[in-house]
Amino acid sequence: MTQQHHWIRYVQVKKALCVLIQHNLVLYQVHKRGVVEYEAQCNRVLRMLRYPRYIYTTKALYGDTGELIVEELLLNGKMTMSAVVKKVADRLTETVEDGKTMDYAEVSNTFVQLADTRFVQRCPMVHIPENSDTGPSPPAPSLVINEKDMYLVPKLSLIGKGKRRRSSDEDAAGEPKAKRPKRPMDSKEPIPDDGIYWQANLDRFHQHFRDQAIVSAVANRMDQTSSEIMRAMLRMSEVTTSSDAPFTQPLSSNEIFRSLPVGYNISKQVLDQYLTLLADDPLEFVGKSGDSGGGMYIINFCKALASLAIATLESVIQERFGSRCARIFRLVLQKKHLEQKQVEDFAMIPAKEAKDMLYKMLSENFISLQEIPKTPDHAPSRTFYLYTVNVLSAVRMLLHRCYKSVSNLIERRQFETKENKRLLEKSQRVEAIIASVQATGAEEAQLQEIEEMITAPERQQLETLKRNVNKLDASEIQVDETIFLLESYIESTTKRQ
Amino acid sequence: MAGNKGRGRAAYTFNIEAVGFSKGEKLPDGVLKPPPLFPDTDYKPVPLKTGESEDYMLALKQELRETMKRKPYFIEKVEEKPDIERYSKKYIQVYKEEWIPDWRRFPREVMPRKKCRKADPKSKSTKGTDRVSSLLNAADVLKKIEELEKRGDGEKSDEENEEKEGSKENKEGDNDSDDANAEQEDYDEEEEQEEENDYINSYFEDGDDFGADSDDNMDEATY
Repeated sequence: MTQQHHWIRYVQVKKALCVLIQHNLVLYQVHKRGVVEYEAQCNRVLRMLRYPRYIYTTKALYGDTGELIVEELLLNGKMTMSAVVKKVADRLTETVEDGKTMDYAEVSNTFVQLADTRFVQRCPMVHIPENSDTGPSPPAPSLVINEKDMYLVPKLSLIGKGKRRRSSDEDAAGEPKAKRPKRPMDSKEPIPDDGIYWQANLDRFHQHFRDQAIVSAVANRMDQTSSEIMRAMLRMSEVTTSSDAPFTQPLSSNEIFRSLPVGYNISKQVLDQYLTLLADDPLEFVGKSGDSGGGMYIINFCKALASLAIATLESVIQERFGSRCARIFRLVLQKKHLEQKQVEDFAMIPAKEAKDMLYKMLSENFISLQEIPKTPDHAPSRTFYLYTVNVLSAVRMLLHRCYKSVSNLIERRQFETKENKRLLEKSQRVEAIIASVQATGAEEAQLQEIEEMITAPERQQLETLKRNVNKLDASEIQVDETIFLLESYIESTTKRQ
Repeated sequence: MAGNKGRGRAAYTFNIEAVGFSKGEKLPDGVLKPPPLFPDTDYKPVPLKTGESEDYMLALKQELRETMKRKPYFIEKVEEKPDIERYSKKYIQVYKEEWIPDWRRFPREVMPRKKCRKADPKSKSTKGTDRVSSLLNAADVLKKIEELEKRGDGEKSDEENEEKEGSKENKEGDNDSDDANAEQEDYDEEEEQEEENDYINSYFEDGDDFGADSDDNMDEATY
């Protein structure tokens, strides 16, 4: 028995590795003595939670065509440009009315736009060293890419139109069908960009999300105009500043004025007032770095991300423990170190309540105690105990909780689906039957009869299941938003210039 | 010990006031058991965000999940062979696309290896494992299988023929090696049905099952 299992698993392992490597979830490296080592990219795996956000963002920026390009790249790990264009053209053709097709050229154009703005990038290529003929070939290829090639689109002349699938080839419900004949291999034609693969550039999306978060924070805190100014500044810095820089290059007020969106009619003086307001704000998103050019301003990403992370902490405390607790938290954060008595006095909260709240936050590690001994023997009676907030460690703790939440959400969703497996399968079969009956022309009475195969209480059960699964899925997506903010902050603290 | 204020009486070594409560004040009861799994919360969670973008992303997420299940990347679990072969099983197949990886980008060891058909399954000599380079072309694979058919014993070549045509064959023989081979055939078949040339016809490998298929020779070195 065990022998068989062992044998099967080995083959499965190799296949699984192929799939994981294809999807950039596992990297490999050749070590001395010809051993190939594989490394799991755990962080990259967790990015799968964010796929819907990546795809939706592309839809907002580049329309349906862009959306499908990024979706195909994410679903397949990596693809050649020609393959993507063909696939997306086919998919888009499916959605348009009969007779119309999607031209390859249009899809290509969108692809080039995505490459130019760096939302898609080239994968490292197989590197064949000069002296490859001597000696045995290595156990695994080495993959390299030049910085300047990463967004270089190959010169292709992709001519063609998307093809509509002739009949209902694929039945989503898995209706019983005879085994399909294999599709003729298209790869008989030479692939013009063979070996040049593309993948989605997640870092670029993260930069976009970060900018989005900053703009919306400014809109919430101040007003629409300030957020538009912020957006203009961020757009100007997109190309001049690397994604992990702590702050942007200085931008002069004159430049900012020129790059405001066309519809925005504010005078130069008003702009200057807004810039001053932004620079003076205690949040310190914007700083003034000089006076030339009407005033030089920078965006301080480190401070911005820290503010966003702290706001998240405060929000969590407020929703879990109440607003008075949140007030104490903000107080300790502001004053850095406070004694028990001082907290009571500053917060104007009675001692008993204040104690209770402080201990609650302490036990959940939002707040920590700092010991300051007065004497070298650290005697407790002669030691100060101060409450303090260590932002980085509190954020790490919260991030840990977020991941636990996601894991719980996934577990629960799988449990719910499993519990109702029989009912779900039945519902799918009924849907398939309805679809096929409708295709061959059916009367209302027939359809009704089929629909009644699912009883009313069963329908109710299905509705409840759908509602619950939707809620769990939506929660996953929203927890991931928090995860993104917290991780961005943590990352910004580890990279110091 | 003698220096204590009084034997057995609790004495704090620091000023209690500093930590926030005075002597004799009623403290909360000691905790006798782990906290409840789902404690009551004073504050209910904030409702989820709703809106066009949230709805769209939710639909996307669920669609992606379904789509992924139908992709060739989704490796199905290998089921134990059922007691009775169900005729209907042949027809309930969801069509899956094929995927042939660009082998140039992968380490050699994860590539499919040709099965060395041995005339006598029981005698496992040290593996003269053929290397993979010739297998990159599907046409070559077919040729090799034809060669093996001629070389191998009749029963096995029959099995291979049937396998290539993609129909189920009957399990024959009940000694271990035959079982193992039949298991292989079944596995490849399921593979073929599932993935349609995903890893070229003969994705199975022989070389590394040290001792795995010779349970008779217990004196072979095992890891």
